[in-house]
Amino acid sequence: MPSVATLVFWFIVLLTVGSSVLVVTARNILHAAFSLCLTFLGVAGLYIFLHADFVAAVQLIVYVGGILVLIMFAVMFSSNVVEDTAAGGRTTRLGTIAGGITALLVFAAIVQLTFKLRAPLEAANQFGGEAYVPTASVVAGQTGLGHLLMGPYLLPFEFVSVLLLAALIGAVVIVRKELT
Amino acid sequence: MPPAIMDGPDALVNYLLVAGVLFACGIFAMISRRNAVGILMGVELILNAAGINFVAFSRFGHTKLNGQHLDGQIFTLFIIVLAAAEAVVALALVLSVFQTHKTIALDEVDEMKQ
Repeated sequence: MPSVATLVFWFIVLLTVGSSVLVVTARNILHAAFSLCLTFLGVAGLYIFLHADFVAAVQLIVYVGGILVLIMFAVMFSSNVVEDTAAGGRTTRLGTIAGGITALLVFAAIVQLTFKLRAPLEAANQFGGEAYVPTASVVAGQTGLGHLLMGPYLLPFEFVSVLLLAALIGAVVIVRKELT
Repeated sequence: MPPAIMDGPDALVNYLLVAGVLFACGIFAMISRRNAVGILMGVELILNAAGINFVAFSRFGHTKLNGQHLDGQIFTLFIIVLAAAEAVVALALVLSVFQTHKTIALDEVDEMKQ
């Protein structure tokens, strides 16, 4: 009998995989956006199972709270959701076939590589199998992340802040109405 | 010892396979969608797959830093920030294209001016 944690894990895996398939197969682009919300939630759950609580929180705040809202805004601004996307959301049969073949090839390659590397991966498992300790390790983990961000990764951190400013200004410039 | 695929949350292979599914779905969306927002969703799926891989390897990997392995989590944080910046600019472009062409089906947007 598997433990509760294992059952929850497989539920989250099913949620993530199923909703991501729905994202790419839904005819209505708005349904795809809602499925994408479930995918992001599932990925956040996987992060929690990987003991990355801070990353899970950031995933929820940035993806579900930010990017998904932006995507829904764009969908509702840029198309007549009901009629337009049913015809324009999906492509021709050729695009579907080409995309399906490419995706299957990529997935087959990933699966083959994963199982070819199975022995070293299981060896790696031996290092990370310690049990989950809620309070102490979580706090320690976030402290470690802060030390890393302010220490070895300070330069990329600053670069990212400049990049965010550039993206902000760029987006404003791109969508601005021309003053004539 | 049962095979690693049955180990649930304690097996690296499971996370890699989920990330593989997300990556393949993203590839499929990028190739088959006409809608620009749909393509952007595919890109987001691919970035999520990369993030899962980074965090999984940082949890199960060999190298430890200060008793923990957190470099992969840092990389995933950067991926999330870059995805946000990319989404902002891409959606601004989508709205701009919609203003000039009245559509965002990418195979109908084949000229640079209106």
